[in-house]
Amino acid sequence: MKPSKRKLSICLGAIVAVAVAIPAWVSGQTIAQGASKGSSASNTQWSIQVETVEPGEIPFAYSFQIATYESLVEELNKTHHFNSVFREGDRKAGDVPNLLVLKTTVVKYTAGSETRREVTTFSGATKVWVRTQLFTRDGKIVLDRTLDGKVRFFGSNLRATHNLARNVAKMIEQSPLPASDQAVTITAPAKLNADSPGEGHS
Amino acid sequence: MVPQEQFAQRSLSRRAVLSLCAFLLCCSIGAWTQSAAFAGGPASALRIRATHLMGFPNTKSNCNGTLLVKEDTLRFRQDGKSDAELKIPSIQGAFLGGESKQVGGVPMKVGKAATPFGGGRVISLFAHKKYDTLTVEYVDNDGGVHGAIFQLSKGEAELVRSELVAQGASLNVGSGKPAQAGSAEVSNETK
Repeated sequence: MKPSKRKLSICLGAIVAVAVAIPAWVSGQTIAQGASKGSSASNTQWSIQVETVEPGEIPFAYSFQIATYESLVEELNKTHHFNSVFREGDRKAGDVPNLLVLKTTVVKYTAGSETRREVTTFSGATKVWVRTQLFTRDGKIVLDRTLDGKVRFFGSNLRATHNLARNVAKMIEQSPLPASDQAVTITAPAKLNADSPGEGHS
Repeated sequence: MVPQEQFAQRSLSRRAVLSLCAFLLCCSIGAWTQSAAFAGGPASALRIRATHLMGFPNTKSNCNGTLLVKEDTLRFRQDGKSDAELKIPSIQGAFLGGESKQVGGVPMKVGKAATPFGGGRVISLFAHKKYDTLTVEYVDNDGGVHGAIFQLSKGEAELVRSELVAQGASLNVGSGKPAQAGSAEVSNETK
């Protein structure tokens, strides 16, 4: 066999080996990714029930309470993080084995003005801070955070509730939830500071 | 002379007949429009233009349409689409609020942004309008609580609420929270 033919056959062999090896490596990676995704979504056995927003002592408009509640239900549904998302009073939630209850209480509210925002840019922001608590059915706290929703520049005042709900849903999605019925407190209750009371920001 | 008198008399009678016909036509048009406005008597008592902000079943958010209180149902007729409806007995609360919003939407925003020397801010100062908001809390067949928010012209939300009460909506059932929140809402928005 001539040296040139030998080189050619070596090259061909190498190409064939690479062609066989790469798909196997890629499929192995895909399987690994699937497995890691599966482990990160280990809390998908939970269902969640969203309670209506408690205004507490804050003069929080009723339309804002309902808008926050509706946005929370919508955003939690969008995450696909829970088996089911129930509303307050839903009788079907009684039959579900692993149920978390989301309680939202308004901690602070700064009423803004769309016109002021448009005219001055730097003032007139609508801000709302809420304490978000996740309970198990037997009352154990799984998650306790304070988050906010703001409208600083564009949009109507109600948009603050949408931003707030998105922050809450994102926080719940990123938080590790315990295995079923072994609930433990994950975070301590947040403290309310002057301007940024919570850990989450819009 | 005799034919001329006859002609004058005929033209006079023609005019009388024509004016009578015109009068009858006007009357019939008036009666027809009135009957169209109150078709079916008290069943179609209220029909108000509104913007659905969120929460009403099978309706897109932020869409314009007509709010109807009719035959034991609260209906929202989206422009050019079919009705979405809600049974009035399922309504647990209806709360009023107010909101001042910028008018004109996106075209106005673009116009304001394009106005030189900060003229857009001056336009914003005057291009706002006060609206009423009507928040309706209702329950579905499984008992789950829902809420819908509508934006109406100033003074019209009260009409809808009164009509809901008249049609038998059991408002403010449960805790006293909604009433407090409603009053807070009004006071808050009037700032």
